[in-house]
Amino acid sequence: MKLYEALGLEPALALHMEEVKKHFYERSRQWHPDKFSRASAAEQDLALEMTAVLNDAYRTLRDPVSRAEYFLKERGIELSKDAPAELLEEVFELNMALEELRDGDASVRAQLEQSAAKFRSMQMVSDTELASLFIHHDAAPGPAKLDQIRAALNRRRYVSNLVRDVEKELHVHSAN
Amino acid sequence: MAYSEKVLDHYNHPRNVGSLDKADPTVGTGMVGAPECGDVMKLQVKVNPTTGIIEEAKFKTFGCGSAIASSSLATEWLRGKTVDEALAIKNTDIVNELSLPPVKIHCSVLAEDAIKAAIDDYKKKSAHV
Ligand code: FES
Repeated sequence: MKLYEALGLEPALALHMEEVKKHFYERSRQWHPDKFSRASAAEQDLALEMTAVLNDAYRTLRDPVSRAEYFLKERGIELSKDAPAELLEEVFELNMALEELRDGDASVRAQLEQSAAKFRSMQMVSDTELASLFIHHDAAPGPAKLDQIRAALNRRRYVSNLVRDVEKELHVHSAN
Repeated sequence: MAYSEKVLDHYNHPRNVGSLDKADPTVGTGMVGAPECGDVMKLQVKVNPTTGIIEEAKFKTFGCGSAIASSSLATEWLRGKTVDEALAIKNTDIVNELSLPPVKIHCSVLAEDAIKAAIDDYKKKSAHV
């Protein structure tokens, strides 16, 4: 896995932020373009390219969600295409309330804020769930565990999109 | 990408928007969602239990124009059909009727799934009465 290699890390799902950061700083110093100011053009290019890869690796691997998405993708696993069925009813209600808000009915604000809070806490639960799935996976990797991770990631992504949408609407319609 | 005439027509004048009483044993409710775009669709049918004919169909869709048009068209088609005829409606029929471009095919799939889900729900409910 290219991004792990770039940072000199073993491919694993559970990583400490500090560790990723340490590796990133070390490698970045090593490849800093300033150090190559008197090197050949080819070496300068390489230094630039390595710096870009390192930045990409750091950005992707420091965040647990993007790290896991990358990890699954490298293993050839696509995020699933099913919307979490158990959430549909609520999402529908949420959309109804959003529509009323857009039509100028401010009385639904409280309801929307409540759902946003609820989805935010679901997001936190997902994060904890993912963290423990990561540890289990690293201890004994296997397709079944990757599949669980995929489902959890999918759900988390769906929920965080919802939170984003609701917050945006609440914000847009707060002025009037 | 331009929407076809028919899509625009359904989008601007959606037929049968609304909802039926979920608790009614002759009403089947289908709720489906597309994760890529976050769109959700609710489609309901009211079936005459003696004839098995769909007497009313309603929908409410939060989504793109094609999804709204697909579900609006679906409700038009459903009315007057038997439950089994309804199950025979394919998303490709919707694609053809509305001339949906390839990137909008999943929107019609959503409508087909909603029909199936609604009929399924009705069948489950009527099996209990
Ligand atoms: S883009 Fe989501 S249903 Fe059409």
